[in-house]
Amino acid sequence: MRILLVEDDAPLAESIAQALREEQFAVDIAADGETGAHLGSTETYAAAVLDLGLPKQDGLSVLRGWRAQNRPLPVLILTARYGWTEKVEGFKAGADDYLTKPFRVEELVMRLRALVRRSAGHHGPRIVCGRLTFDAQMGGFEFDGMPLKLTSFEWRVLSCLILRKEVVVERMDILEQAYEGDAGGDSNSLEVIVGRLRRKIGHEMIETVRGRGYRLTAGAA
Amino acid sequence: MKGVLNSIRARLLISGVLFTVVAVVLAALTIRPTLDQFVRRNVDASLESQISVLARAVKSDGSLDQDRIQSVGPFIRRGAGWAWVVKGPAGVLRSQTVAAVEPRQGEGPPPWPRPERDRDRDRMPQREMRPDKPPTAPLKESRRWRSRSGWNESFYFRTLTISTSRGPVTVTAGAPRYIRDRMRDEGLRPLLLSLGVLGVGLLAAMIGQLELGLRPLRKLGASLAAVRAGEQRRIDDKQPRELEPVVAELNALLDHNDQALAKARSHVSNLAHGLKTPLATLAVRLAEPGRDPDGSLASLIAQIDGAIGHHLGRARAASPGAPGRPALPVRSRLDDLVAALSRIHAAAGVRAELDVADDLYVACDPQDFDEMTGNLLDNAWKFAERTVRVTGRRQGARVVLDIDDDGPGLTDEAAAAALVPGSRLDERGAGHGFGLSIALELAELHDGALTLGRAPIGGLRVTLALPARSAEP
Repeated sequence: MRILLVEDDAPLAESIAQALREEQFAVDIAADGETGAHLGSTETYAAAVLDLGLPKQDGLSVLRGWRAQNRPLPVLILTARYGWTEKVEGFKAGADDYLTKPFRVEELVMRLRALVRRSAGHHGPRIVCGRLTFDAQMGGFEFDGMPLKLTSFEWRVLSCLILRKEVVVERMDILEQAYEGDAGGDSNSLEVIVGRLRRKIGHEMIETVRGRGYRLTAGAA
Repeated sequence: MKGVLNSIRARLLISGVLFTVVAVVLAALTIRPTLDQFVRRNVDASLESQISVLARAVKSDGSLDQDRIQSVGPFIRRGAGWAWVVKGPAGVLRSQTVAAVEPRQGEGPPPWPRPERDRDRDRMPQREMRPDKPPTAPLKESRRWRSRSGWNESFYFRTLTISTSRGPVTVTAGAPRYIRDRMRDEGLRPLLLSLGVLGVGLLAAMIGQLELGLRPLRKLGASLAAVRAGEQRRIDDKQPRELEPVVAELNALLDHNDQALAKARSHVSNLAHGLKTPLATLAVRLAEPGRDPDGSLASLIAQIDGAIGHHLGRARAASPGAPGRPALPVRSRLDDLVAALSRIHAAAGVRAELDVADDLYVACDPQDFDEMTGNLLDNAWKFAERTVRVTGRRQGARVVLDIDDDGPGLTDEAAAAALVPGSRLDERGAGHGFGLSIALELAELHDGALTLGRAPIGGLRVTLALPARSAEP
C-alpha cells in the first residue's frame, strides 16, 4: 500500500512518513500542491493524505483537480483548519475523510486503512481468502488462525492482492503499491517476494497470470 | 441649567427665545422715538400751515388784517387744546382756546408777552397788542410752556418772526403735548401688537425648525443603534450635508473596527493553526514506541489542542461579525454536515435520520451555524449506538432543532456540567469535549438557546433554538 502524503511542513511530513512506514505503508512525500497534484495524477496510490494550506497550489484545488480527472484516489484531508464549514468544503471538493491536527497516529493509520479497504469495495474489516484472513482495520494477516509474520514488502504485496482477491492484479500496480517513489523495483524483485509469500501461505494461493500479473485465490478448495 | 444646556434642542430653544425676545424689545424701544419724531413732524406741519395762514394776515406795517384773521376761524375745534398767538407792535392777538401762556421758570425770556388773566376766551380773536422785545430766531423750535388756564400740561409750539417797518411780529402756534402723545400711542399700540404676534410666530417657527432640523440626528442615532444590534453593517450614506462628515467618520470607524476585528481574528487563527502543525509533529513523534509509555504526554497535547480550539471558538463567538444575518436554509446546511459526518464516522455505522422541512430558515451566520450543529451532530455521532435523528420545526419566531442519539445519554449533573465552558464529557476523545459549551455560546450570541434533555430514542437530546427567518425572495 503506497500512500501519497502532501504536506509542506517537513518535520511533520517526515514524522508521519516514518510512522506510516512502521505500519508497513510505502510513503511518497510531496512538499507543495503542484508536486502533489502531479504525483496524484500520474502515479497509483492506495490513498492520499492531503494538507489544505499548501504552497503553490492549495489542497482543495489539488483535490478538485484530481476529481475533475476522475481519479478515484481515496483522499484524507489533514489540516489545522478545524471548522465545520471547512470540513464540509473539503467533503464537497471530493474528500473521503478529514482529520484535524494534532491527531493520533493510530487514528490516521486506522482511517487510511479503512479508506483503502472501502475504496476496494470491502465493507467489513475482515477480508477472508481461503485460509488467509486480512484484518483491514488492524493491518494484520492470519493464516489458519495464526498471525502471519511478514516483511514490509511482503505485507504490501499481499495486502494489495487480498484487497483485490480473485482478480488479476497487474505487475505494475503491485510494484507501484510496494515501492516508494523512484526506488521502484522490477519484475525480478517482485517474483522474489511472491516466491517468499508462496512459501508462507502455500503455492496454490498466488496464481501467476502470464504476461499480466498475479491473482490471489482461495482456489477450488 | 447645566443639565438643560446638555441638550442641543434646549440650547437652540433657549438661545432662540432669548434672541427673539431681545430683538422684539429692542424693536419696540426704537419704534417709540421713531414714532415720536414722525408724530412731531406731523404736528409741525399742522402748526406751520396755521402759522403761514396767520402770517398772511400780518401787514407790512406790523398791524394785523382783522378780516383775514376772522377768516382763519378757530384754529382747531374748541377745547382740543391747539392754540396760536400773534404778537406785534400793534399788540397781541390770541386764539380763543388759549387765554395765555407763560414761560417756565428759569428759561430765557420768551418772545411772548405776559398773557392777561381776565381775558374773555370766548371772544375770538382778541386784540391786545403791546410793544415788546423782538424774538431772535426766524423759526424757532419747541420750548416748554405752560398754559395759564390751569390745564397744567406742557405745550409744544412753533414761532415765526416777521420783520415789519414798525418792528418784528411773532406768530406762534402750539399744541399740547398730550395730543402728540395720544397720536403716538395710537400708532404704537398696533405696532407693538404686531411685534408681539411676530415674536410668537418666530417662536413657533423655531420649535418647528428644531423638530425638523433635529430629525436627522434622531435618525442617525437609530441607525447607529441598528448597526450595534447587527441589523445593518454601515450607517446610511444618504444624510443631510452637515451630517455627512460625521457619518463618513463613523463609517470609517466601523470599517476600521471591522478590519481590526478581522485582523485580530486572523491573528488568533494564524496563531492557532501555526501551533497545530508542530503540535501534530509532536504528537506523531510521541507515538513512536517508548516515547510516551503511559500516554500522559499525549494527553497534554490533547489538552493544548483543546485549549486552542476553545479559544479559537471563543474569539469567533465573542464577535458577531455578521450584521444583516442572511436567511440560512437549515435543511441543505444539515444535509452537507450529515454527508461530511457520515464519512468522518464511516466506521461507526451510525445512520442519520433527518426530519427537517426544506422551507426552514434561520437568521444566523453560516459558519456559526455549521459550528453549532456540526459540534452537536459530531457529539451525537460519537455517542450513538445506531441512530442520530434530527427533527426541525418552526415554533413561533424560532426554528427549533432536536438532535437526538440513541447512546447512553447524560445524567442531570453531567448535563449541567456539560454546558460549563471547557468541560469535557469524553476524556478519551482528543479535544472534542468543548463542542457543547461552544455551541451554547454561539446559540446565545445569535439570540438562540440550547438545552439538554432525554431523547425518545434513548440517549441525549440537544435542543437548539435559533431565530427564524422567512426565505429571501
